[in-house]
Amino acid sequence: MEQSGTTALLQGAVQDLASGVVSALRGGDHVTVSGAIGEDTPTANLVLPAVRVLGADLLLPRVLFRSQPDLAELAVFRKAVESFPARADAAPAVRWSHWAMRRTLRRFEAAPDGAPGQDTAPDVDTDWLEGAGWQYLTHQLAVLAALAVPGEACAVTEVARSRPVDVARGFVRAVRRRDWQQAAGAGRWLTLLDGVPAELGLETGLDFVELMGGGDPRVALQIQAARVMRAAGAVA
Amino acid sequence: MLVRSHDKTFEEVIEIQAADVEAALDPAEPDGVYRDSRECAALAVLEGGGKLLLSPPTPRPKKG
Repeated sequence: MEQSGTTALLQGAVQDLASGVVSALRGGDHVTVSGAIGEDTPTANLVLPAVRVLGADLLLPRVLFRSQPDLAELAVFRKAVESFPARADAAPAVRWSHWAMRRTLRRFEAAPDGAPGQDTAPDVDTDWLEGAGWQYLTHQLAVLAALAVPGEACAVTEVARSRPVDVARGFVRAVRRRDWQQAAGAGRWLTLLDGVPAELGLETGLDFVELMGGGDPRVALQIQAARVMRAAGAVA
Repeated sequence: MLVRSHDKTFEEVIEIQAADVEAALDPAEPDGVYRDSRECAALAVLEGGGKLLLSPPTPRPKKG
């Protein structure tokens, strides 16, 4: 499908951010986004939209490695949350991704008494996933891979937990369709789920997805996230 | 006034991009492009002949 100029620019900006997250997940530098906001360049205006599209995963290294983002990093994240609110009639994936960012923001924004912020209930349900075919389920879970974080369950996590074999089937299908981004997202979910068939060969499958699609930083991000979580023995 | 003008421009940019952002957050599934033999070979090397569901389907005998 042909992309508009704006769409291509946005996707490029998202990939740049994703590269930074991959580097941080591999133990490199932390993600740098704040510097571009004040720049007077044509792409500076793409920073906030790109942060919104990458979503909660921007701060994933901070979550997985239990470190605190710096104030500038958090300010850009917050600005993206505020600048692109999810409309009430937006697609569930859009609303859940916004909730995931709000959850991450609350995690790092201390309450006045210094206690960590508490999650608030999502303003979106999982009705659209109830009874969904395994193909659609896997596609939607992959789109919402930022919700696949150890120890941070939500209603979408519960749906994924209840259908590990379907997600495994979706992973295989995505690989066979060469949809590396969907395969990587599904693989990240599978890393957190119990009941995944051992004969799937998830680890080898993730290696293969990285080999074939790892040139796309968004794919590399999901694979690296899965590896970090797997190494930590994480479960959803 | 300069600040207000700048804010207005920023809001317009945001508004223009909101649709792009939403589209990026809820992408349609792309058309499938199936694997070729080179990739099957790469997968076989990776797996080392072990068990994996990613192998092509077993050919079935033709009816009749």
